[in-house]
Amino acid sequence: MSNRVCFYFQVHQPYRLRDLRVTDIGAAEPDYFDDVNNRKIFRKVAEKCYLPANALLLQLIDADPEFRVSFSLSGVFLDQCQEYGRDVLKSFKALAKTGQVEFLGETDCHSLSALKSTAEFCAQVKAHSQKIHKHFGRVPKVFRNTELIYSNDLANQVRLLGFRGMLAEGVDRLLGDRHPGDPVVPPTFRLPRPVERTIAAGRSRPLPSRRFHVLLKHYRLSDDVAFRFSDKNWASHPLSAETFAGWVKESPGHGVNLFMDYETFGEHQWAESGIFDFLGALPAALKREGIASVTPSQSLLEWKGESDTYDAHEPISWADSERDLSAWQGNAIQQAALDNLYALEEAVLAANDEDLLSDWRRLQTSDHFYYMCTKYWADGDVHKYFSPYDSPYEAYRRFSHALCDLQARLARIPSSAL
Amino acid sequence: MRLRSLMFGWEFPPVHSGGLGVACEGLVRGLQRNDVDVTLVLPHVSAKGAAHSDVISAAAATASGVVPVASLLRPYDDSFAFAARAGATPGGHLYGPDLAAAVAHYTVASVEASKEREADVIHSHDWMTYGAGAAAAQLRDAPLVAHIHATELDRTDGHPDPWIFGLEREGFIAADRIIAVSDYTKRLLTREYGIDPGKISVVHNGHDADPKPAEPATISRHPLVLFLGRLTVQKNPHQFVAVAKEIHAHQPDVQFVMAGAGPMQGELMQAACEAGLSRNMVFAGQVSKREADALYAAASCFVMPSLSEPFGLVALEAIAQGTPVVVSRQSGVSEVLDHAFKVDFWDTAMMADCILTILREKPLATQLKTEAPRLLQRLSWHNQARAVQAVYHSLLHPNHA
Repeated sequence: MSNRVCFYFQVHQPYRLRDLRVTDIGAAEPDYFDDVNNRKIFRKVAEKCYLPANALLLQLIDADPEFRVSFSLSGVFLDQCQEYGRDVLKSFKALAKTGQVEFLGETDCHSLSALKSTAEFCAQVKAHSQKIHKHFGRVPKVFRNTELIYSNDLANQVRLLGFRGMLAEGVDRLLGDRHPGDPVVPPTFRLPRPVERTIAAGRSRPLPSRRFHVLLKHYRLSDDVAFRFSDKNWASHPLSAETFAGWVKESPGHGVNLFMDYETFGEHQWAESGIFDFLGALPAALKREGIASVTPSQSLLEWKGESDTYDAHEPISWADSERDLSAWQGNAIQQAALDNLYALEEAVLAANDEDLLSDWRRLQTSDHFYYMCTKYWADGDVHKYFSPYDSPYEAYRRFSHALCDLQARLARIPSSAL
Repeated sequence: MRLRSLMFGWEFPPVHSGGLGVACEGLVRGLQRNDVDVTLVLPHVSAKGAAHSDVISAAAATASGVVPVASLLRPYDDSFAFAARAGATPGGHLYGPDLAAAVAHYTVASVEASKEREADVIHSHDWMTYGAGAAAAQLRDAPLVAHIHATELDRTDGHPDPWIFGLEREGFIAADRIIAVSDYTKRLLTREYGIDPGKISVVHNGHDADPKPAEPATISRHPLVLFLGRLTVQKNPHQFVAVAKEIHAHQPDVQFVMAGAGPMQGELMQAACEAGLSRNMVFAGQVSKREADALYAAASCFVMPSLSEPFGLVALEAIAQGTPVVVSRQSGVSEVLDHAFKVDFWDTAMMADCILTILREKPLATQLKTEAPRLLQRLSWHNQARAVQAVYHSLLHPNHA
């Protein structure tokens, strides 16, 4: 029987690439990103989701001083707010002011750097923490990695970075017959010396955390809202807040962790589906069942039990039915794109050119690789739905041109400057 | 009991790579394996002309029965091409002074020659055989299937010979069911011929892979970009020259091969020279299947820039040889291809860009090579013929459907 629920909403928008051509490579003023389309999509999602959902949450928080939610806002999302949506940023600031909202840490560019470069990962986590502090006046204490990508190794890195806890997917094959309700711990071990040194150098906090727990996503209940809510063929359609609160109550453990994309509200599930009415009625329905909403930090503070070890030897994620990395590095073009991008790390850093660094980082956003996914069976439809391009090959064409241009820019820097 | 299909078909053994003959042969083979006995009615030139025995033996090896009908008709005929051939063939006038007369003659002769053959269903391929199919169906009170591989609109860039367009439309109306080789063609029939979409079944063409991969042609150690098709308006060969020009400007070592014959060959050669491609573009002329496979295997990229391509079997042939393909979006094959670049036929810059990307990015080329052929397992003629067999079945047993 759970009497806690923890909401975490992911807020992210990538910088999609424009229709780059071979002839653009080596151009005097490189411009990789599709400003027109990015603005259009941002505004569309702002009107359908961010603004109405934030307004609703603010209302719910005002009405109930005990209501809590948490967000992870990617750094590239915050950058887009400054370009395309100051109104959106303002509404997040208003939520922050209530003190009832927690902001989580992540990589600034919503990147896969955790898989490719520890130094770059640490740099991006630091940059993101600073950005959150700048906008909202506080430093994240709990971490969530891009697309909930998680492994034992990574958990130990995040612990060494000084975070109190981390979020992960509750994957059936790792849980076995256990439930995802109780916080778990990663197996603790020493990381290779060079990795530990890199982390110590890149840490924005003084000390590693001694107490470190992992909150696991309850994917069934999360997906009931995020994916099934408007499905008329679903046996529980239409889902009421009362029914859902009852399910939360029945779930075992310390608390139920409901993790989902924020775009669920109004964008993936349209307003006409009743998703906002559902969200609006949920706090009261939970309360009637005696369920408190908590932030991830709160949930971890209140956990006094013995934690089981969650052994993610291989990386897991929240994507597709595989819950692995195949959505971003499942085929040859994805792997080539990732390898070629990170192969430039040293040269990009040495170039000491802010524009170049920014372009390189924005190319790291995981969405670029997700669009190149060719798993066109079962989960393929989802990839297609989220891609702004015609095909995975079109995604690769644009990306590889951008990368070629980046290489050309690096080659133009006189070696004396390096 | 095996179903019996009386089929008015074409081109045995297939002459053109990826053409109507290849599709007919594949379909007949697939139907035979799906418990359908096919009797083939085939036009062939007279005993004085070429290939009589070849035609009969090739067809007999594939189908249950063959009904040869002396005729000068060939697929892809238009009035000019027919008149030129009839004039050059001894006794050519015997089959009618012009295309209209030849078609009328073939219709009567083929129905007469096949009248003793029993059939549950009549199946005609493209407009020249629709008249024969309709008469044969009426004779037996059997359902008529009109298979459409290419319309007059596809062949003429939307400037049809009204007489041919009319015969096509009559055939579609007379048919109990139309099989279109793509959704692209189905939409065209609905939009331009006013045919009820409910009457049209889409069965994509298939491809049976050769168990032995072809030996790549040794042409050049430089990257090779290939076009293969009849040199006619429909195949948009001028676009290939334009694309080659753009690629050449960017990467001068790329070689281009234009394979296939047709009325536009002279002007294309001139266009290639004017584009400064005289050293980089080879005109290979009409190629045999073996030669075509060797070219596909040697190519770094195959391009099909067709203006309007009901299907585009050549793309599957290229894929079967492990060649990355860039195809016109205005094609049927683009509906079934996942691992390929699809570009609007008019978009020269984009086509060049996709090809240059394939040439530059090895992992991309490798992935296209290895992933695209998986499609061929699904699109075997055995599978596609099963879909045709299901169409037969639904006509003969409408209440089961």
